[in-house]
Amino acid sequence: MIKVTNLTKEFVQGQERTQVLKGIDLHIEEGEFVAIMGPSGSGKSTLLQLLGGLDVPTKGDIQVDQHFLNKMKERERTIFRRQKLGFIFQNYQLLPTLTVEENIAFPLHADGKLTNEKNKWIHELIASVGLEGLNRKRANLLSGGQQQRVAIARALVNHPAVLLADEPTGNLDRAKAEEILVLLSTFHRRKKQTIVMVTHDIFAAGFADHLILFKDGVIDQVISRKEEDYAKYLANFMA
Amino acid sequence: MSVKYGILTSLFRQRHHGYELKLEVDSLLGIKGKINPGQVYTTLDRLMRDQLVSSPGWDDQERKLFQLEARGKDELEKWLLEPVPYYTAKEDFFFKWNCARKIHFAQEKQMLEQQKEMIIKEVMELTKLKTELLLQGEENKYLLITGTLLHLEADLNWINQVENRSR
Repeated sequence: MIKVTNLTKEFVQGQERTQVLKGIDLHIEEGEFVAIMGPSGSGKSTLLQLLGGLDVPTKGDIQVDQHFLNKMKERERTIFRRQKLGFIFQNYQLLPTLTVEENIAFPLHADGKLTNEKNKWIHELIASVGLEGLNRKRANLLSGGQQQRVAIARALVNHPAVLLADEPTGNLDRAKAEEILVLLSTFHRRKKQTIVMVTHDIFAAGFADHLILFKDGVIDQVISRKEEDYAKYLANFMA
Repeated sequence: MSVKYGILTSLFRQRHHGYELKLEVDSLLGIKGKINPGQVYTTLDRLMRDQLVSSPGWDDQERKLFQLEARGKDELEKWLLEPVPYYTAKEDFFFKWNCARKIHFAQEKQMLEQQKEMIIKEVMELTKLKTELLLQGEENKYLLITGTLLHLEADLNWINQVENRSR
């Protein structure tokens, strides 16, 4: 589903070049739930942005669903992003004056009129994220947990090949975070949704099948939970 | 202690024979479950002696049945209303750590790291288990594991704090 080869990202400021990603190789299978962990500034969010086509690499290849993102023109990438990828951000990024259903429907408008079938799907999504009865409520009147539920429904509205989540529970308390993670996990288990989630929280990472530990722009360790000593790696990494 | 109150709880609504009681108590103990059948029978003897439980006879397969007495019901309800001090669950590690500090144990850091590793492993495994339980509709078991995870989070934060202050 995702194949990354020798991925490098540099940011240039004046005379100074900062290499944020230093030649990453990565492979994520269809239907996997992967957590990317690492300290602030380790490059994990930059990687997610590149996987989502929100930015372009300095060097290297990114294949998502057998398409090379790095070889696409900007407009092509925008269409690919809209049709194949779903995003969830820490700060929800909803349109505050639009209602719940208008926010969820938003990515569909660019591809034409809302059909009855699409409207039915939006209502199904609203129910599946537990927001029945709030269809016409404005986004800015919702709690943080409810806003993130809307964001999840919006991310899933185009049946994305991959759901990319950047610290999706970072702004929520433990109880609300649990609800969001359970929701993501349910879509992963029931619909085989591929999810890549950046998090610094071991309690969120516990929901994932595999963990990618990031340090200073390189992958320090890819951890499968089937490995005997995985907790030891994690404990050392978090020390 | 758990076996006694597990038996009283299991007999609250209906009679059971000994092996059924073992299975009921296992289920109440949740993921840490599985008690020795011998423990059930010795506890039942004590409960009969103290008149908290009695035997009304045998079932059609010649298995001895047990039922709850009024005194048993009172005992159970009294126990249910007693708050549980949080520290009892993890006093072992606190005690051990205190002993380590007292003797200026050179390997305290290793001790904390090992404890942290154990907690992380439990967090990962319990998170996986709770998700499966939730999808199977096992709401109560899911909530109990969520409670355990919140305690583990506090323990992990505490170890991090000890480590930070020791640097």
